[in-house]
Amino acid sequence: MSDPSSINGGAIVAMVGKDCVAIACDMRLGMQALTVSNDFPKIYQYNNTFIGLAGLATDVLTLSEVFRYKVNMYNLREERDIEPETFANLVSSTLYEKRFGPYFVGPIVAGINSKTGKPYICGFDLIGCINFAKDFVVGGTTSHQLFGMCESLWEPDLEPEDLFETISQALMNAQDRDAMSGAGGLVYIITKDKIVKRLLKTRQD
Amino acid sequence: MDVILGITTANEVIVITSRAFVRGVSILKADDKDKTRILSPHTMMAFTGESGDTVQFAEFIQANIQLHEMRNAVELSPSAITSFLRNQLATSLRSRKPYNVNVLVAGYDEAKGKPELNWVDYLSAKVSVPYAAHGYAAYYTLSLLDRWHRTDLTLEEGLKVAEMCVAELKKRLPIDFKGVDIKVVDKDGIRTEKVIE
Amino acid sequence: MDSIVNRFTARPEFDEAVLSEEEIRDCMKPQSVPTLSLPPISQPTAFLRAHTDDASNPDARIKIAHGTTTLAFRFQGGIVVAVDSRATAGDWIASQTVKKVIEINPYMLGTMAGGAADCQFWETWLGIQCRLHELREKSRISVAAASKILSNLVYGYKGMGLSMGTMICGYTKSEPAIFYVDSDGTRLKGDLFCVGSGQTFAYGVLDSGYKWDLTVEEALALGKRSILAATHRDAYSGGSINLYHVEEKGWTYHGNHNVGTTFWETKEAEGSFNNVPTEITANV
Repeated sequence: MSDPSSINGGAIVAMVGKDCVAIACDMRLGMQALTVSNDFPKIYQYNNTFIGLAGLATDVLTLSEVFRYKVNMYNLREERDIEPETFANLVSSTLYEKRFGPYFVGPIVAGINSKTGKPYICGFDLIGCINFAKDFVVGGTTSHQLFGMCESLWEPDLEPEDLFETISQALMNAQDRDAMSGAGGLVYIITKDKIVKRLLKTRQD
Repeated sequence: MDVILGITTANEVIVITSRAFVRGVSILKADDKDKTRILSPHTMMAFTGESGDTVQFAEFIQANIQLHEMRNAVELSPSAITSFLRNQLATSLRSRKPYNVNVLVAGYDEAKGKPELNWVDYLSAKVSVPYAAHGYAAYYTLSLLDRWHRTDLTLEEGLKVAEMCVAELKKRLPIDFKGVDIKVVDKDGIRTEKVIE
Repeated sequence: MDSIVNRFTARPEFDEAVLSEEEIRDCMKPQSVPTLSLPPISQPTAFLRAHTDDASNPDARIKIAHGTTTLAFRFQGGIVVAVDSRATAGDWIASQTVKKVIEINPYMLGTMAGGAADCQFWETWLGIQCRLHELREKSRISVAAASKILSNLVYGYKGMGLSMGTMICGYTKSEPAIFYVDSDGTRLKGDLFCVGSGQTFAYGVLDSGYKWDLTVEEALALGKRSILAATHRDAYSGGSINLYHVEEKGWTYHGNHNVGTTFWETKEAEGSFNNVPTEITANV
């Protein structure tokens, strides 16, 4: 009950499609059983790379600021945008810095490499172990449910609109089985030259 | 059992704090005015939490915001002040002796011409909301506010909703909180609007 | 062997005028209490508490379905009973289609909060007792008596981990009555109760709209709206709303209302729930 990673609740998921990736999150911020806000998105954008942060809300906010700072410094030093692979390593080392007093989050990263045009997604544990996947990654209190939905709905080489449908259905049906997440959904569909952001109208219980 | 409530209306934020100061089994004071601090001309905070921590933290934030204002001759926006406050609270969370304080930051953003309310808990989770409460009061009033709050409320309508919340708390909370102070933040600054005994 | 012999031997005369507490309870116990087997260990109560009661031990591995919002109130036109339909085991939503109103008989309803199995089993059992009363006494049992049977029964199991918070609603003659009964042994008569993890949220809306003179239509709408409020804010309440109206002639069912659709209809009609964004806001 007082497990830090399940106080506030949350669901995040990312999927690979044909020359596109999608990342989605729920919108709930809770304090145990009490829903405090229905407007608490957990996905942050840095250049053309996205990170979904689910877990303890304070660490979600702190890390989003840490990454903003680090990516801005990277941009200034390198005079170019950060690639998803590089960002994933940055996330990993940032988390491991706090090996003995970790941030209570399970992040996932999604993006398209601007050089190769290859979709990239990966997930992490709370101290920075990178889990690279070719199909989908999940995180948050809803991860069990999300795994089930993704395993059954996902298929290779989905076009952006089909990927949107797949990730949305996976998210909505998973969070409907988790008391700690839900209250809306936010989906990003990322292609090489376009980012589409949609708010899902879901159950509000 | 402190009552800390914030409600945004079309042009202002209404902040409600209970007047009882409770320590152990006794009410030490029935006209407590120590649950809020003014941070800047258009931003105030209301707080509850561990006694000692609350006022120390609030005055620490207040002093730093005022210092920043004197040094730079700029009034910070409510969201900037909340960011600073959250950052300090989050840093303290992983220190040897963290502040145990729950906060509402109510302000009027002059640049945007809009009232703003931020909810921050002792873990430094922060979110911007149309209405919020801390403690047990949240469990009774949030459903009422879900029902009766509108984004285009006038001050009078807002106060009516506020009084509804106080009436419900008086009816259902098991401990007497000795009435409330109601403060209002709008484009003209911060004022005490009324007291419900 | 002795126990079998004893059962068929007449009870000895009481040599003392005072009955022990236990004897009083035995007298009050209805005849047909089923035998429940206990774990074959020295301290069954402690064992059950340690393994199934997550109020005293949150780490208990056996999660019994919990979390609810139920309400019932008396008004000019009878009684309205409204409940949600979610069952959770920890954070896992085990079901969104639980029946939390137990139709004890055509003129009495019981609500269900706490252990789902406990409520289901004992309120069904209460139905049997009420029928037996009818057959024995040739008259309907009063709500007061029915709730007392349940209250005495659960008190007999006190400390063993039974978990229920229930409202017994019905008519005695032409008088509507609600009795709150819980597994601590509490039994309260009242006009308005909300029970379960979402009770406070329901109280908020219910108190703000309640008056004795409500029409039947208004009362049903208020009951439904109060449960909706609770499903929105309480993570452990949700699914759908079941509505009942109890009158002297018996209860009538007023439908199952899915929260998924009811929420958006209500938000649209009232202009309420301003905390829920309908488009992407600055928070993103």
